[in-house]
Amino acid sequence: MAAADTPSASTLRRRDLCSRGIRLARKMRSDVADLLDIYVERQGLDASVSVAAVEGVPAAAVEHWSEQTGTQRLLDNLAAYRAFRALLAQMLEEQREQLGDADAALGRALAAVLLQVSAFAYHLEELLELESRRPPGDDGDGPPAPPRLSLFEQKLRGLGVLRELAQWAVRSMRDLRQLARPSPGPSSAPGTAEGQ
Amino acid sequence: MFSGWNWVARCLYLFWNICSLGVSGGLVQSCGHIIPESPVLALGSNFTALCILNESCLDFGNIYANQIIWKIKNKVVPREQYREINRTVSSVTFNDTSSLATPLTCNVLADGQIEQNIYGITVTLGLPPEKPTNLSCIVHQQSKLTYPMTCTWNPGRHTFLDTHFKLKYRWPRENFPDCIPKDANNSCTISDVQFFVNLEVWVEVANALGKNESDRLVFDPIEIVKPLSPHNLSVNSGILPTVLKLSWENRISTAVMKLKFNIRYRIVNETNWMQVPSEDTASPRTSFSVQGLRPYTEYVFSIRCMKEDGVGYWSDWSEEKTGVTTEDKPSKGPSIWRIFDALSSPASWTVHLLWKALEPFEANGVILWYEVTVRAKSPPFLPPWKYNVNKTNLTLMLLNRTYEVTVIAHNRVGASPPSVLLIPTSNSKAPVKNIRTLPKDGKLWVGWTAPNSNVLKYVIEWCLLSNSSDCIMEWQNEPGNIQGTYLKGDIKPFKCYLITVYPLYADGQGSGQSVKAYLQQDRPSKGPTVQTKKVGKAEAVLTWNHLTVDEQNGFIRSYTIFYKTIDGNETAVSVDPSKTEYTLSSLTSDTLYTVRMMAYTDEGGRSGPDFTFTTQKFGRGEIEAIVVPVCLAFLLIVLLGVLFCFNKRDLIKKHIWPNVPDPSKSNIAQWSPQVPAKHNFNSKDQMYPEGSFTDVSVVEIEADDKKSFSEQDLKPFDLLKKEKSTSEGHSSGIGGSSCMSSPRQSVSDSDEGETTQNTSSTVQYSTVVLNGYRDQTPVQVFSRSESTQPLLDSEERSEDHGGGSDSTTLRQQYFKQNCGQDENNTDRPCFEIPKQIIPANEEDLAGFAQLQISGQNSEPLGLGLEKSTQEAALSDVLQTSTEGQTVRYETVEGNPPSVDEMPKSYLPQTVRQGGYMPQ
Repeated sequence: MAAADTPSASTLRRRDLCSRGIRLARKMRSDVADLLDIYVERQGLDASVSVAAVEGVPAAAVEHWSEQTGTQRLLDNLAAYRAFRALLAQMLEEQREQLGDADAALGRALAAVLLQVSAFAYHLEELLELESRRPPGDDGDGPPAPPRLSLFEQKLRGLGVLRELAQWAVRSMRDLRQLARPSPGPSSAPGTAEGQ
Repeated sequence: MFSGWNWVARCLYLFWNICSLGVSGGLVQSCGHIIPESPVLALGSNFTALCILNESCLDFGNIYANQIIWKIKNKVVPREQYREINRTVSSVTFNDTSSLATPLTCNVLADGQIEQNIYGITVTLGLPPEKPTNLSCIVHQQSKLTYPMTCTWNPGRHTFLDTHFKLKYRWPRENFPDCIPKDANNSCTISDVQFFVNLEVWVEVANALGKNESDRLVFDPIEIVKPLSPHNLSVNSGILPTVLKLSWENRISTAVMKLKFNIRYRIVNETNWMQVPSEDTASPRTSFSVQGLRPYTEYVFSIRCMKEDGVGYWSDWSEEKTGVTTEDKPSKGPSIWRIFDALSSPASWTVHLLWKALEPFEANGVILWYEVTVRAKSPPFLPPWKYNVNKTNLTLMLLNRTYEVTVIAHNRVGASPPSVLLIPTSNSKAPVKNIRTLPKDGKLWVGWTAPNSNVLKYVIEWCLLSNSSDCIMEWQNEPGNIQGTYLKGDIKPFKCYLITVYPLYADGQGSGQSVKAYLQQDRPSKGPTVQTKKVGKAEAVLTWNHLTVDEQNGFIRSYTIFYKTIDGNETAVSVDPSKTEYTLSSLTSDTLYTVRMMAYTDEGGRSGPDFTFTTQKFGRGEIEAIVVPVCLAFLLIVLLGVLFCFNKRDLIKKHIWPNVPDPSKSNIAQWSPQVPAKHNFNSKDQMYPEGSFTDVSVVEIEADDKKSFSEQDLKPFDLLKKEKSTSEGHSSGIGGSSCMSSPRQSVSDSDEGETTQNTSSTVQYSTVVLNGYRDQTPVQVFSRSESTQPLLDSEERSEDHGGGSDSTTLRQQYFKQNCGQDENNTDRPCFEIPKQIIPANEEDLAGFAQLQISGQNSEPLGLGLEKSTQEAALSDVLQTSTEGQTVRYETVEGNPPSVDEMPKSYLPQTVRQGGYMPQ
C-alpha cells in the first residue's frame, strides 16, 4: 500500500516536467507580453488593432477544453508551438531583413521567445514520451509558406502571432496543471475526454 | 641581347654552385632529411628520429649513415643513442623528450673531419590537455529579459602548446553553438539562456597532442541565477516612532522566479548592520515595514533578493537609502552630578549642578528644555524651587542642609523620567574600596570593590592632571550593580588622570576614593636636573626637583644616579622616587665628577643633564686640625721662649746688653757729701730701710704689685724694665746710656716708661734732690751730663706732651716733681716721690695713697679718701717745693700749657724751688 502511494520515477518526472513547463509557459507569457509592447512600439502599430487569425496557427480557444485527454492536450500544444517556432523564426528573419542590427533589442527579444517556444516544445515532447506516445514527427517545415506579404501585412501577422502565442501560453499553463494533477489512470486510456 | 647573356651567366653560376656543394659541402638540401619533420612531442615521452641520406650523396660525397652525427643545438648526442639502420639511414632515440631541444640536426663528417649539416628539424614539446574540472555556471541577470550564463572551469596544467577550449551546451533535442572563450581558457559566457529546460553543459579542450572534455553538467539555468537586486528603494516614516516602511521594485519577473529578500539596516554613522529576520522576508513582496527602530534616528537600508526556494545566488545589495523615524518622548532622564564651590562658607555653599545631554537614542528627539526642581529634605521644608533651563548646568546657593535635585528633559513629544540627585551635607556613607585602573583596548578601565551597602549608582569623576591647565572635571554615572567601567571620554595616552569614585545611596553618598592612572605610559620626556647641595672631601650631597606631571609621562618608579670621574667607570645608584636628595659617599678627594640622573617609568627612563663637581682636597676640620695645633705649638714655643728669656734675663742682659759704665757717674766727685743717706727720716725711708736705692728706681713695680721687694729683687726688675723700654725706643747706637735714654715709649709701657724715664734721668744724667731734709733748705746741686742726647729726647718729650691728655699731664707733672726732687735731691733722695706719683690713674693713686697711709697708721681708707690722702701724702712729701706743683696738679687739666715752659730748659740750670729739673 505504501509502495502504491510512493510516486514512481515517471510520475515524478512528469510532475517535474509539468511544473517547469508551467513556469516556462508563465515566463513565456510574461515575455511575450513584454515583446508585444516592444513590437507594437517598434513596428509603429496600434496596440488596439484587431488582427485576423493567423494562418497555420491552431487557435488556443477550444470548445470542450475540459474534456480533452492529456495526450490530446499535449499534441495540440506541441502542434501549436511547432507552428509558433516556425512563425517566430520567420518573423526573426523578416525583422533582421527589415531592420538589420538596428533594433537588436527586438531581435534579442524575438530570439528569446523563440527559444522559449522551442524549450516548451521540448517539454511537450518529453511529456508525450512519458505518456508512451511518440511525438509526431517534426518535418521542420511548419505551416506552409505564406504568400509573399507586404511589409505592413508582415507586421500585422507578427502581431497576430505574438498575441496568439500569449493566448497559447495561458492555455498551456492550464493544460499542464491539468496534466500535473494525479489522475486515476493513464490519461491515454480511453475515457470521457478521449472519447470526446 | 645583353639581358640574354646575363641570364646564361646566372644559370652557369647556379650550376657551378650546386656542383661545388655536392663536392665540398652545403649538402643540406640535397643529401638527406629527417623523419619526422618538426614533430610535436609530449614531454617525458620517448622519441626516435631518422636521418635518411639521399642515394645521390652516397657515391658523390662518400657519405654514409655511419658517419652521421646527431646534435641538439650544438651539443652532440651520445653515440649510444644512434642506430644505423642501413647505410643510408641513421636513427637516434631519446627515452625522455625533456632532454630535447630545438633544433635537432643530422650531420656528417665530410672528408673525415669537416662536420657538415645535412638536415635539421624543430621539435615542439608540450603536454596533452588535461580534463577540465570544477565546471560551474552562474546566470547573471543583466536586465529583465537578459540572462547571460557564465561558466568557469579549471583548465588543468599548462600544456606549452596552443590549446583550445570550447564550452558546449545543448538541450537534449537541440544543440547550440559552442561558446569559445576570449582572452581566457577557463571561462566563457553564453549570452542568453532559457529557463525551465535542462541544459547540458561541458567543456572540450584540444591541442596537438590530444583532446579532452570535462564532466557534463545538466541543470536548469533557473537554478543558478543571480538576480539583479531590487531597485527604487524608498523609506517612509510610519505612524509609530519605531517603524519605517520600505518599498522597492523587483527586476525579475515573478514569471521567472519568485523571490525572497534580505533587508539590512544600520544607524547613520555606525558601521554595524542589523538585519530583518529572514523568515519575515521569505516571500515575494515589494514592501516591508521594519519595526523596533529607535525614535528620531536616521537609518540606512539596503535589500537583496534570491530565488524563493534558496536555489541559486543572492543578488548584490541594493543601493542604500536612508529614513528617519519620528520623535518620541525621552526614554530616560539625564545623568546629574554636582560640584561644590571651594569658596563656600560653612553655613551655605555654592553648588554647580551638572547634567549630561541625553544621547540621541535616549533623547528620542530634540531636547527643548530641562526642568530642574530643588527640594529641601530636612526641615524647615519649603516649597520646592523650579527652574526651566536650556543649558546643562545650573548654579545654586544652598544652605547647609540636605537637598534633593530633580532634572527632567523635555522634547516636542513629552518629558523624560526624572533624574534625582541627593545632595547631603556630608558624604558620610561607606566609600568604595580598592579602587584600581587598567588600560584595556585603548580605553581606561576603572574598577572598585563595592561597599556592603546597597548602592544606587556610582559617579566616577576624573580629570587630567597638568601643570599647564587646571583640573577640568569630567564625570559619568554608572549603575549600582557594577564594580567597574570604562571611562567614557577622550582619554589621552601619557597623561596622568586623577579618578575618583563616589557611591550614591538612597539616603546619601559616600566619600570619593581616588586613584591616579595612565592610559599608556612612556619614558619621561626629560630627566631630573641634579646639582650639588654640598660637596665634601669624600661625599657630595645631590639635590634635584621632582619632574612635573607633564614631564613624567608615567609613574616614576625610581631614580638612578650615574656618576663617574673623567676616566673612570660610571657608577649607578638607585634612589627611591620620593627622595629629592642623596648623598654620594666614598668619593675620591679633589676629583672632578660628572653626575647625571635618570628617572624611570614602567616604559623606560630618560637622563637629565650632566652636572660636574669637584670634591674638596681636605675634609671638614682637617685644616683646623692642622692649623690649630701648629698655632698652639707656635704659641707654646713663644711662651716658653718668653719664659726662658724672663728667667734668664740677667744672663741675656749680660750677654746682649752688658752694663756700660755711665759716664755721668764719672762726676762722682760732685756728689754732695752733705746728704748722707742715713739722715733720711722720711716715712718713706722706713718702707725701704735699706736706703740703697741710690741708682735704681724700682718703686713702680712695687706700686703695681703692692709687694715689698728686696733690693736684690728690684734691681733686676728695674733692669728689665729699662731693657724693655730701650727695646721699644729708638736706639741711638752709641752705647747703653743712649739706649737707656730712649725718648719714646709705647702706650702700653707708659707707666714703665715714666719710671724708666725717671730712672734713666736719674741714672744717666743727674740726680737732683730738691727737698731738703725736713725743714732744711736743700742744697742745690747741679749735676752736669756730658751727653746731649737725653736733652734732645727731653725736648721731643716736651713737645709730645704739650697737647697730651690728662694722664700725660699727670705724668708731666710727676716728671716735673720728680725732676724737681732730682734737682733738690742733692741732700736727700727723692726716689719715693716718683714711686707715689707714678700711677696714671686714680686706682694707682689709690694704691699709692693706701700704701702711704698704711705706712703711717696702717688704717685702711676708702676710695673717697684717696685724693685727699694722696694730696695729704703729697703735701707731706712735697712740703715746700711742691706747693706750686700741687696747685698745678689740681689745675693740670685746665692749665696744661704751663708745662710747656719746662722742657725748654736744656742746659744745666739752677733748679727753682718746686720748678723744673733738667733731664
